[in-house]
Amino acid sequence: MNKLLTTSIMALVAAQVAGGATAQAINDSELSDPRVRQAIAYAIDMETIAETLFEGAAIPAVGLTSDPANYPDGMNTYSYDPERARELLAEAGWDGSRTLDMVYYYPDELTANFMAVVQAQLADVGIDMNYRLLEGDVGAQIGGVPDDPVNGPAVVEWDILYGARAAIANQEYFNRFAPGQMPTVPTIDAMVPLVEAVNATADPEVQRAGYQEMEGIINDGAYILPLYYQQLYIFESDRINRNGAPYGNEQYNYNSAIETWTVEPNEDGEAVAYTNGAPMQFFEVPWQNLGIWVHSKYVFDTILEADGALTPIGGELAETYEVSEDGMVFTFTLQDGLTWHDGSPLTAEDVQWSIEAAAQFPLTHPVLASTLSSIEGADALLAGDADSMSGISIDGNTVTITFEVLDPNVFLSFSQFAPLPSSYFEGVDPLQLQQHEFWQMPIGSGPFMIEEARMNEFTTLVPFPDYHRGEALIEQIIALPSADGDANLIRNAAAFRADFGYSKNATDVPSLEEMEHMTVIPANIPYTRMFWINQFPRN
Amino acid sequence: MLTYIARRLLTLIPMVIVISFLIYLGLELTPGDAVSHMIPPDAYGSMDPDRLQELRESLGLGKPFAVRYWIWISGVVQGDFGYSLAGGVPIADIFLDRLPATLELSFAALLISTILGSILGTISALTRGSATDQGLTVVGMLGVSIPEFFFGLVAILVFAINLDWLPVGGRTLPGYDSFWDRLPNLVMPALVLSIMMTAGVMRYARSSMLDALSRDFIRTARSKGMPEWRVNILHGFRVALTPVIVLIGFRLPVLIGGSVIIEQVFQWPGIGKEFVSAVRSQDYPLVMMVALFSVLAVLIASLIVDLLTAIIDPRVRLGE
Repeated sequence: MNKLLTTSIMALVAAQVAGGATAQAINDSELSDPRVRQAIAYAIDMETIAETLFEGAAIPAVGLTSDPANYPDGMNTYSYDPERARELLAEAGWDGSRTLDMVYYYPDELTANFMAVVQAQLADVGIDMNYRLLEGDVGAQIGGVPDDPVNGPAVVEWDILYGARAAIANQEYFNRFAPGQMPTVPTIDAMVPLVEAVNATADPEVQRAGYQEMEGIINDGAYILPLYYQQLYIFESDRINRNGAPYGNEQYNYNSAIETWTVEPNEDGEAVAYTNGAPMQFFEVPWQNLGIWVHSKYVFDTILEADGALTPIGGELAETYEVSEDGMVFTFTLQDGLTWHDGSPLTAEDVQWSIEAAAQFPLTHPVLASTLSSIEGADALLAGDADSMSGISIDGNTVTITFEVLDPNVFLSFSQFAPLPSSYFEGVDPLQLQQHEFWQMPIGSGPFMIEEARMNEFTTLVPFPDYHRGEALIEQIIALPSADGDANLIRNAAAFRADFGYSKNATDVPSLEEMEHMTVIPANIPYTRMFWINQFPRN
Repeated sequence: MLTYIARRLLTLIPMVIVISFLIYLGLELTPGDAVSHMIPPDAYGSMDPDRLQELRESLGLGKPFAVRYWIWISGVVQGDFGYSLAGGVPIADIFLDRLPATLELSFAALLISTILGSILGTISALTRGSATDQGLTVVGMLGVSIPEFFFGLVAILVFAINLDWLPVGGRTLPGYDSFWDRLPNLVMPALVLSIMMTAGVMRYARSSMLDALSRDFIRTARSKGMPEWRVNILHGFRVALTPVIVLIGFRLPVLIGGSVIIEQVFQWPGIGKEFVSAVRSQDYPLVMMVALFSVLAVLIASLIVDLLTAIIDPRVRLGE
């Protein structure tokens, strides 16, 4: 089967090479002309911007994904070349009469400065551009898809969007190239079978061939302009000792082995560590943002375990696991004697209920939701025609999951998926799972359990004595409230109230590095900032 | 007086209904809803729109505006304030949890500003034209013209980070069992919050005192041979206090509003911080209740000021 897919991808490669991007507008929008988009790419001096404005905390991008193994030979880096940009604009007949409308949704000052620089660089090649911050319902303003996937008109009301794609699976970068999914790019026929192909196999080699092809098409036609890869910055005070435990993508779940960390005792001789990521009003369901919050990481254990790069490496709650040769049946056996923090047993029934609830929960992470909706009987459950998924069966501690269609990310999804204790949710509509009172003081299965939760003030975590990997060595974690992008991070770190955590904000890095007691460790994460260019005509 | 109070309280009802309707309408006209704010923009493109629509329907966001307003206002009348759309927490619980923090901060600031402002204003008036008076006038001008968040950030930098005298923010930590444990956390936000008000009270007290000191009864008191301090304090200050009390009364709701910024700067877990978060996430039941609370605070403060004025100044007749 994999051979067949490889062959079909190779055939598509050939077709694409023969086709290439048409060097003219394909509809009434000047931006549908690849030469205009390429000119924009050449006009932006990303190397200098990364070095100066971002103070080296951004890596200029080549493709949508940051892994060069996903690129075909001969990828155009669109290195800064204003002369080439002017030539392309002249070839495309760009007369400079149109002022482009650039939008963005990051309210920070750095982004505003970046917009100002881009405006100046585009003006230098003859492209006028105004920029504005999107307010209110950002999702609705960036997500509308035209009825006619070639001629539009566009639903979105802007010319260029500065945004990002954060991904745990490479497919996330490309899936919206499926027909009728993209608000900005008319359907590219060559992309359609490639998107299907990378989603229809779990074979990394076959997927790689597909990614290379898609990266090549996007690069050639400059359909989306990847700008830079953002790093994540892990900070750690000199009180913390990880004892060799790895660093990784802190936004998700990985084998950070926090139960083995130690912290220098405070003046009272207590091993207390401070961090951020505590809730402000409620604990978020851990299926949505996976690892952003302190409780998502340390209060809930996942079925499988991933390494710092999010590659699944073994079982966490699962003792053993396997997937059938055709990838359609996934079986795992839970460890014996697992319990929830309240002492009740963690059972296969809890896992089954959690899978079914997560499939119905509307805010479940897209990659996880995609895996769960591929299970046999998921459609019937979601349509309300069944009470459970026919594809899940239980035998003692063993859970067997049969898929209706092959999902490429089964291991990845289950390395991020934390089951919940079903006994607390009897009769609860999964649509309103987040609104349940359980999320004021959740019960989990991870190395730490919640001791006290004072919303908007602090949350304290203490070791779970019966944790299956042994009791954690840190006696108490005090987590202060903050969302992703902690506005109070620097102040708290300077006041010794942040011993570990992470930031994605490059402007935090110099301040953290200046603190004598703090170490900052950059981590590469799949997070690409880019320009989406609206190639549909606007009304 | 009771008739007057009853009449004033009755007039609150239509005012509250009209104001709440206008706020609700304003929220309705704002783009987006609570569901779209549950998803980070970077992830929005990957979410299933049908599932999100189901969530909207289940939270009652699919109903027409008028129906939703009616459900909300009739719930409030029956004592049901609803629950937060984001996390399902009853609004009453959020209020009971956050209000003490805001009241603690506001009353501390009110106390500081009233005492300091009255004393400094009186000193300024009694030393009119001197270097002390001019110095206090300049300080007062600075107090009202520099924004509170600036004072807050400078105070954190100096007293929390550089000198390490006071906590950087927050209200409490594990092990803080009493008010005295929390007191160091209260000092900076309360002082910063009180700066602008102290300056206002000081300027008001000064002009009011000067006005009082120029009255005939002051001259009469002096001619009776009364000691100067008695003339100033018992006669002058008492009369000068009336407009100052009016000002303080009207400042009560302003303090709650003003604490929105200070609560953000000092990570103070009060209603103001919750309000900002609710507005950002378009959690309309919570926004409405905070807004309604503020409206009621203004209206009731206005009533209290009228009553206090009548009590202090016998010349004032209520209802006339």
